[in-house]
Amino acid sequence: MTSEEASHLYEAFVAQDPAKAIQVVERVRSSGVPQSQLFDTLYVPAMSLLGGAWAEGLIDEIVFTQASVVAEQIGSFVMPPVARPDTGVTVVIGTIHRDRHSVMKDVVASALKEAGFRVNDLGVDVRAADFLERLEETGSRIVIVFAEILATARAVSGVRDLLTAENREDVVLLVAGGPFAADPGLARAVGANGVIASAESALKVLGRVRDDILAGGAS
Amino acid sequence: MTPTRSSQVLVAEDLARRGQLPAAVAACYEALAVNDRDAFVHALLGHLMLEGDFYDEAIAASTQAIELDPDCSPAYLALGLAYDRRGGMWDQSVLVWHELAEVVPDLVTAHVQLGEAFAAAAFEEEAVDSWKRALELDPKEARAHYNLAIAALKREGMSTALPTIRRAGELDPSQDELFFSLLGLPAERLEFDVAKVKPEAEARLFAAGMLLRAEDFFGASDLVRLVLDENPADAGALALAAYAYLKQEAANEAMACALRALTYSAELPTALYTLGVVYSRFPGLAKHAARVFIALAKAAPQHSLTHVLLAESLLGLQRYGQAKQAYRAAVRLDPACVRARFGLAAVRLTEGGYAEAQWEMRRAAYYDTRRQGNFWRLYDAYAEGGDV
Repeated sequence: MTSEEASHLYEAFVAQDPAKAIQVVERVRSSGVPQSQLFDTLYVPAMSLLGGAWAEGLIDEIVFTQASVVAEQIGSFVMPPVARPDTGVTVVIGTIHRDRHSVMKDVVASALKEAGFRVNDLGVDVRAADFLERLEETGSRIVIVFAEILATARAVSGVRDLLTAENREDVVLLVAGGPFAADPGLARAVGANGVIASAESALKVLGRVRDDILAGGAS
Repeated sequence: MTPTRSSQVLVAEDLARRGQLPAAVAACYEALAVNDRDAFVHALLGHLMLEGDFYDEAIAASTQAIELDPDCSPAYLALGLAYDRRGGMWDQSVLVWHELAEVVPDLVTAHVQLGEAFAAAAFEEEAVDSWKRALELDPKEARAHYNLAIAALKREGMSTALPTIRRAGELDPSQDELFFSLLGLPAERLEFDVAKVKPEAEARLFAAGMLLRAEDFFGASDLVRLVLDENPADAGALALAAYAYLKQEAANEAMACALRALTYSAELPTALYTLGVVYSRFPGLAKHAARVFIALAKAAPQHSLTHVLLAESLLGLQRYGQAKQAYRAAVRLDPACVRARFGLAAVRLTEGGYAEAQWEMRRAAYYDTRRQGNFWRLYDAYAEGGDV
């Protein structure tokens, strides 16, 4: 079925008929092939047929070029989706008060956004009360606090104290930064639920938090 | 007035140019015994010390040369590089590169190094301006591109940095050389008469490869067509056609030919390379690119760039740990691979490893500046008393 449709798509390319090409794509999509598989199951074999036809001399250089233009036009119809689906999970992040280090925070924030998390970035030099306020505003239950100096890393305990004082023990407090990487006991000492060691670890930890703690509920 | 060189300096210079460093250093000291106020000798000694990784000695000799003649541009180069390679002297480094960029404004390296010195001293905006200036002078300057990518990574994350890393990679001539190496072409360029190419597929494809390397796309296409007319299922010919289309920015034609080639020979490195490069241009095909580059790295594991291409595709999938492994494999194969070093720096930054990232970038600069050989260009111009 699909190889037949690939032949039809190839024919549409050679006929320089984008409308027919789109019809083929829509037909295959409506037959149940998901968007993420259209490229492999339909477009790739059609393009291979096109290359073969050119190699065999069935089509000349000009037709090959024109067919490739049509192929490019319908490329967006068969491409796998770029953006990852919205996870629905909001994460509040920021660098703790009296600390202005931003690189790790920005890298992690970008990775999380790309992975579909809703990131609420408070910037640098953020007071504990501001973290709490933003958690209340957004309804988020996850906060990542960054600290790159030992003194400011210790001060993260102030965030946990405030959360406890305000009966927000449901909030998952994650910490990141050099002092926490160097001393695994420090995170526990400041009342954190976990440590983010890198952008990739942020994705893994947040994935676990999303699946295990927040499954089914609003964040 | 044109500065003159003594016969002792000429002896030292000749030895240095032939790579006989210890003998050249000895000759420099003999020249200094005759005249210790010769800027040439001090500049040469600074360069030789730098080549031997004796940074403090290089700094002393180059500084002396500049004191004797403030227009001694090769000494500024050696001094700046010595500061940078030694590390921890960024404020002095900024001054030296700034000075050299004024004295020799078209020296791209001076702007790249100035940017790196600014970045190390935490003047990020000035650093970006310097790298942009370097790209105005040479749009293909790879290290300026990579530095801008790292700056983008720090500010906006990997998704912004990755396109710049890829763009720099495509401008890098070594990526084209990877294709020709996969094709089995010799490193040296051979002269031949197209009319005398034997009427055999192998000879025609070899000649087509040589023509492609010389960017003679029409000549190469004619030879490929002759092969395909005899055998349309010749995977090698299709892969060459794919590459020729890729170089002419015809990505879809390249994709069609590469896919067809892979139906006949599923592990053909040249087809895998071209298909992977085409896929990596489409953000939605990051997984496809990674799959193809995994196959390429397995098919041609001896080439460092195959691992770099794999690593870059993994960055697009946010698999930073696996990307690090691939970059490390590349650096093991070629420690001077600037692209792999900067890639490793990018991965280190995603782990919060600032010092490690800085180290990788310094190693990249080390190998890159050693390869460039700018010293002799400046030295010869200085000796002639003219502009560089």
